[in-house]
Amino acid sequence: MTATGMTEVGGGSRSAPRAAALEGSSQYLTFLLGGEQFAVAIIHVKEIIEYGRVAPVPMMPAWIRGVINLRGAVVPVMDLAARFGRPAATLTRRTCIVVVEIVTEGERRDVGVVVDAVSAVQDIAARDIEPPPAMGGLIQSDFIRGMGKVDGRFVIILDATRVLSDEGFATSVNAGANEDVP
Amino acid sequence: MSASITDRVLPTFLAESREVLQEMEDGLLAVGQSPDLAETINAIFRAAHTIKGSAGLFDLADIVKFTHVVETVLDGARQGRVEMSSDLISLLLLCVDHIRAMVEEIAAGRRTLNEALGAQQGPLLERLARFSAPAAKAAAPPAVERATPAAPSEGAPEFQLWDERSAASPAPGVAAASTPGSDAIADHDRWHLSIRFGRNVLRNGMEPLSILNYLGKVGTIRKLVTIPDPAGLVETMDPESCYLGFEIAFESTADKAAIEGAFEFVRDDCRLNIIPPRSRVAEYLRLIHDQPDGVPALGQILVRCGSITERELEAALKVQSSAPEQKVGAILVQQEAVSPGLVDAAVAKQAQLREARSQDGRSIRVDAEKLDNLINLVGELIIAAARTDMVGRRARSTELQECTSSLSTLVQHVRDSALQLRMVKIAATFNRFQRVVHDVSRELGKDIGLVVAGEETELDKTVVEKISDPLMHLVRNAIDHGIEPADVRAARGKPARGTVKLNAFHDSGSIVIEVSDDGGGLRKDRIVAKATERGLIEAGRKLSDREIYALIFEPGFSTAETVTNLSGRGVGMDVVKRNIVALRGSVDVRSEEGVGTTVTVRMPLTLAMINGFLVGLGNSVFVIPLDMIDECLELSAEPGHDYTNVRGQVLPFVRLRDVFAVEGARARRESIVVVNYAGRRAGLVVDTLLGEFQTVIKPLGRSFQHVRCIGGATILGTGDVALIVDVPALLEQSRRAAVRRERSADRGVHA
Repeated sequence: MTATGMTEVGGGSRSAPRAAALEGSSQYLTFLLGGEQFAVAIIHVKEIIEYGRVAPVPMMPAWIRGVINLRGAVVPVMDLAARFGRPAATLTRRTCIVVVEIVTEGERRDVGVVVDAVSAVQDIAARDIEPPPAMGGLIQSDFIRGMGKVDGRFVIILDATRVLSDEGFATSVNAGANEDVP
Repeated sequence: MSASITDRVLPTFLAESREVLQEMEDGLLAVGQSPDLAETINAIFRAAHTIKGSAGLFDLADIVKFTHVVETVLDGARQGRVEMSSDLISLLLLCVDHIRAMVEEIAAGRRTLNEALGAQQGPLLERLARFSAPAAKAAAPPAVERATPAAPSEGAPEFQLWDERSAASPAPGVAAASTPGSDAIADHDRWHLSIRFGRNVLRNGMEPLSILNYLGKVGTIRKLVTIPDPAGLVETMDPESCYLGFEIAFESTADKAAIEGAFEFVRDDCRLNIIPPRSRVAEYLRLIHDQPDGVPALGQILVRCGSITERELEAALKVQSSAPEQKVGAILVQQEAVSPGLVDAAVAKQAQLREARSQDGRSIRVDAEKLDNLINLVGELIIAAARTDMVGRRARSTELQECTSSLSTLVQHVRDSALQLRMVKIAATFNRFQRVVHDVSRELGKDIGLVVAGEETELDKTVVEKISDPLMHLVRNAIDHGIEPADVRAARGKPARGTVKLNAFHDSGSIVIEVSDDGGGLRKDRIVAKATERGLIEAGRKLSDREIYALIFEPGFSTAETVTNLSGRGVGMDVVKRNIVALRGSVDVRSEEGVGTTVTVRMPLTLAMINGFLVGLGNSVFVIPLDMIDECLELSAEPGHDYTNVRGQVLPFVRLRDVFAVEGARARRESIVVVNYAGRRAGLVVDTLLGEFQTVIKPLGRSFQHVRCIGGATILGTGDVALIVDVPALLEQSRRAAVRRERSADRGVHA
C-alpha cells in the first residue's frame, strides 16, 4: 500500500524536489487522518513503515504512542490525531508510521507519526498555498504552514518541526508532573 | 624538514606538548609536597626544555622564545640561584597556561600569535625577568651568564653565544690547562664528554651546535676538539649527513644525568661517553679502545683536551698490553675505577629505563572515536546475539542451541573487554584539581591542601568526561564555602591549613566519588531559614537532616552571604545535581557543623551497557539494572499494605504497575524484585520475571528528556523496545510520595 503510494508520484525526476524546495514550492506527502487530508513536505519524510511493535512509554501524554526500534535506533512515535485533541487513531490494516526527520536546536532527529493511510506525493506550487486560517480551525494554527489546493480540494500542510518539536512534549510532561503534586 | 613532514608529525608534537605541559603543571604543583625537591625541579626543567626543543623543530619561534625565558628561570631554580617560592610557582603555572594556549593556537592552524596572547606575553615576560635578573647579576659562573641571552625579547639569535666562544677559544692543544699529574687518577674536576653524532642527526632536525650551546648552560666547556668522521672529508660526502664528533673537557657541578640531558634528543642516534671527574685513566682507555678503526689517535686528542696527561695514558696503555686477554671492563674493576655502589645504581637505572621503554611498547595510543565505534558495534552485536539465541531456542535444535550459547558467552567476554578498553583511572581527573585548589585558595587567601585517595579507581572515559564539571563545582564550593577563613579556623582549634579530600571507590556497579572538606559544615538553621525565605519549604515544618541537606540542591538556593566570583550565585548545586542525575547518578550530602562536609556522588561505571534483568508488566517488558538487584521473591503482602516481611525485616515496596500506569489486569502471582541502591533497600512489584539480559543502553532522545524513572531504552532479541527502569529516581520519587502522604495525613489529623 505504501509502495503504491510512493510509485504513483515518484515518477518525476529525483532532483526536482530539492530545487523546487528552494523556490518555496515542492512535493508533499499527503495522508489521511480522521477523514481529513494532511500534507508534509517530502524533504522531511525519511520513510514509511507498517504499524507494529510500539512500546508504550509510561507517564507520557496520550499523543505519545511510545517508541519503536528503527534498525537499532529508538524512535518516538506520535499520534497526530491525539496531538490535535481528537480521539486517538484507531488501528486498521492501512495504518502506518511516517518517519519524519526534524531539526531542532541544530540537532537532527527522527519522529514517527501514526497516520490512518498514506495517500500520494503531490506537487503543490507556492501560488496554490494559502496562509493558514486565522481562526475557526480545529487545529492550533501555528501547527499549520498553509492550506494547499489540490484538484480543487484543500489539504492541510503541516509544519513538521512545530508539530513534532519538543516544546509540546515538554509542556505536556510538565503538566503531568504538576498533577501529582498535592 | 619539508612542509609535508612537518604537517604529518605536527599532531604528535601537539599531543606530546599537551602531555609534557601537564607533567610540568603537575610538577609545579608537587613542589610543595615533594620529598625530592631537586628532582621535581629537574623534571619541570626537563619538561620546559622538551617543549622548547620540539617547538624548535617546527620553527615555532614564539613558543621557543617564550619557553626559553621560562627555562632560564627554571635553570636558576635548579641551580639554587632562584628560590622556588609560591609566587614563582604561580607565575610559572600562568606560563604553562600561556604555552598551552600557544600550542592550542598552533593546533587551530594559526602560526602567529593572536593579539590577546601577545598582550598576555608581555607582562609574563616582565615578571619572569624579575626572577631571572638578580640571578644574572649574582656570582654565577660567567659562562652560565653568557649562556643566558640577555634580552630574548629582541629575538637575538640563540646560537650567538657559541659562535663567540668558538671564535674566542684557543685552538685545541695550544694551551694545556691541567698540570700533568703523576697518579693513575686523572686529577682534576673535569668531566670528559666524547660524542660521535649519527649520520642522521641533521636530517632529524637536530643541530649539534644547539646541544653545545645547551651544554654551556649546564657548565663550562673548557676545551673542545672536533673529530670529523673521515667519511665526511672525501668528495662523496653527503651534505645532509652529519660527520661530526667532539671530545669535550667540561667543567660542571651538575650530575651525570643532567649532562646527559643535553644530549636527550640525539641520545638514540649517537655514541656518547661521559667520564666523570676523577675517573681512573682506564676509563679513558676504554674510550680509546672503543673507537672504530680509522679514527685519529684518540689518546692524543684526550691529552690535547687536557683530560688526561701523556704520562697517564702511557701507564694505562702499558697495563692493557700486559694483559691482552683481559676485557677492558675487567681492568676497570681491577683498578677499582668504578665503585660497586655506582655500578649498582647504574644497573638499577638501566633496568628502570628498560622497564619504562617496554611499558611504552606495551601500550598504544588509539583514537577515542575508534573505541566508541567499536563499543557501538559490540552493542549491536549483543542485540544480534540475543536475537540469534531466541531464534535458536525456538528452533528446538540442540546443536544450534549449543552454538548460540557459546556465542553468547563469547559476546559477553567481547563486551567486557571492549568496555575495559575505555576504562581510565580517575587519577588524571583528580590531579587536575591540584591546580584548581592551588589557584582558587590563593585567590581567596586561604591555605588549603588537596588530599587524593583511590585515584586508581577506573571508570568509563565517557563518564569521566561528564563528571569533571560537576566535580569542579563541588571542589570550588568546598574551598569557597566549606573551609573557613584562617582566623575562624584558629579560633576553633583547627590546623590553619584546610584540607579538601577527593576519594573514589567502586560499590556494586557504581563508582562513588566523595568530595569532603574539614571546614565549617552546613548550618542547618541557616539552610532552613533561607529555604523558608525563598519559599522552598513551609515555615515551621519539621525536616530530617537528610531533607535539610537536600535543600541545597534546589534551584535558586545558596547560603553564601557574600557572592564571590567562584560560587554563591545560587546557580550551583542544582545544576550539579541535574547533571549527575542525567547520567543515571545520584548525589548525597553528609555534614557535621564545625567538623566538615562530605558530598557523595554515585555514578554508573559505564554509560553504554548494563547487565539487565527483564521483568514483564502486562504486555510491556522493562529492564532493571542487575547490579542493583539483591534478590527476587514471590509477593506476599496483605492487601492495602505497601510493605512486606522479608525474613523478619520490613521491606517497603512500590508497584511498578501503578508507577508506570500500565493497563490490564494484574498477574495472579506477582513477584517482588528487591533492589539496593546507596544503602537503601526496596521492593519493586512486577507481573513476571523474565531473566537476565545483557544489554545496550539506547538513549531515549530529547523527546523524552523530561520523563522520570526511565533511564533509557534497549532492544530485545525479539526486536521489541524495552525501557530501562531508573531505580535511583524511582526510589527517590516513591520516598517523596510517602513523605507527602504522611504529611497530608498529619494535616488531616490536625484539621
